[in-house]
Amino acid sequence: MKSEEILPLIHEAIVEVLPELDGHDFQETDSLDALGANSMDRAEIVMIVLEAMNLEIPLVDTFGPQNLGELARHLADKTAVAR
Amino acid sequence: MSRVGIEAMNVFGGSAVLDVKALAQHRGLDLPRLENLLMREKTVALPFEDPVTFGANAARPLLDRLSAEEKDSIELLITCTESGIDFSKSTSTYLHDQLGLSRNCRMFELKQACYAGTAGFQMACNFILSQTSPGAKALVIATDISRYLLEDGDEAAAQEWAYAEPSGGAGAVAMLISDTPHVFQLDVGASGYYGYEVMDTCRPAPDSESGDVDLSLMSYLDCCEQSYRAYEKKVAGADYRDSFQYLAFHTPFGGMVKGAHRTMMRKVAKAKGAEIAEDFERRVMPGLEYCGRVGNIMGATVFLSLASTVCNGGFDAPRRLGCFSYGSGCCSEFYSGVVTPDGAARLREMAIEAHLDGRYRLSLDEYDRLLSDRDFIRFGTRDTAVNQDLVVVTGNGGGPRLVLREIKDYHREYAWVG
Repeated sequence: MKSEEILPLIHEAIVEVLPELDGHDFQETDSLDALGANSMDRAEIVMIVLEAMNLEIPLVDTFGPQNLGELARHLADKTAVAR
Repeated sequence: MSRVGIEAMNVFGGSAVLDVKALAQHRGLDLPRLENLLMREKTVALPFEDPVTFGANAARPLLDRLSAEEKDSIELLITCTESGIDFSKSTSTYLHDQLGLSRNCRMFELKQACYAGTAGFQMACNFILSQTSPGAKALVIATDISRYLLEDGDEAAAQEWAYAEPSGGAGAVAMLISDTPHVFQLDVGASGYYGYEVMDTCRPAPDSESGDVDLSLMSYLDCCEQSYRAYEKKVAGADYRDSFQYLAFHTPFGGMVKGAHRTMMRKVAKAKGAEIAEDFERRVMPGLEYCGRVGNIMGATVFLSLASTVCNGGFDAPRRLGCFSYGSGCCSEFYSGVVTPDGAARLREMAIEAHLDGRYRLSLDEYDRLLSDRDFIRFGTRDTAVNQDLVVVTGNGGGPRLVLREIKDYHREYAWVG
């Protein structure tokens, strides 16, 4: 799965956890923290994205990315490894 | 069938407590974010309180209820802590002395971050089950304090600490383990464990903590699911929704447990919104009551939650509790046991809530003074007289309480007061 395909899934997951961001113009440089997600929100957003991607990896393996673009690229790399 | 588990238990939630909301206002923290922590109060360790005094004050009321013969049957003392006061000499040696236990007793200290209490409990249960010394009992004391210093100029650490401060507590839980498990009968063999190396939170240097909130939460959530999956493999017919009338979690702060429960109900039990909220109130909230009044006490926290569940839940018939323990680094375990009406009545006799209600309420000025370096006893202190200013005022009118008086040539000198 390519990062361009993963980004919309991330946006949907953010809106699912933080409905007030519906319609927000997300940028790749946005961080979840700056968007108002607390630590539990951040973990839930990643879990929802993993489920949408049908990717079963430990949450700790998604740790590290600092913004939405980095997260999408990180998860794209993970799918490449998983296959 | 082999019977083993907790014969008696007690909680010591400290001599002094701080109102968390007042602290947050004082620090200028975001109040809605703070409310998500589900914290009301936090225990603050006073200068004369250390892991030994906390542990002894939790255990003494249990031992005072035993006959001399029963007390002498304690052949194993395990202290579970990440707040050790010596790299070699175990905290158990001080506790053994202060509690007047038999000299024919194994003793040692055990470390695995917040999982330590469960590790000690399970090892003690295995000692009883092995029947290598029929009739013997074990005493397991989980004790921790989160009093640590900020090094000057570490701005990033100061920022991190801002939201950890309201949830870091201090306290101890003492448990008598035997083949007459009046309070909590362990489901023998019903355990799922899960662990791996991860650098989420740690204490890499004396009197300091380090860690990453996100990584720790992710690891906790991974373990919450995987330890339960391992439990399911061992226990035919186990069902997350129906097998356990209550769930006791390791509780760094209540909001984290709320999130973990929501995740488990969604992923494992396939439940949705309103059902999850109802389940949380019914099965989890009773166990968060005391945790929200003491704060995170690391290795002891899952047992603080267990005690809270037993004292605040409904036990008109035997009920099964599911327990989730997690310790950074990491190791985790999901296990279960049964609490009977008699067991609940016995634990309530310990009057844990009255003890929590009776703690001295610190003013913010007093708290800030305590945080200042002056009276803080650093790891490795060789000689010092310990400030006793608050000993009398925090007396709580209760029974004997152990306090730290001084350190002489590295040896800690204690006294029972009151």
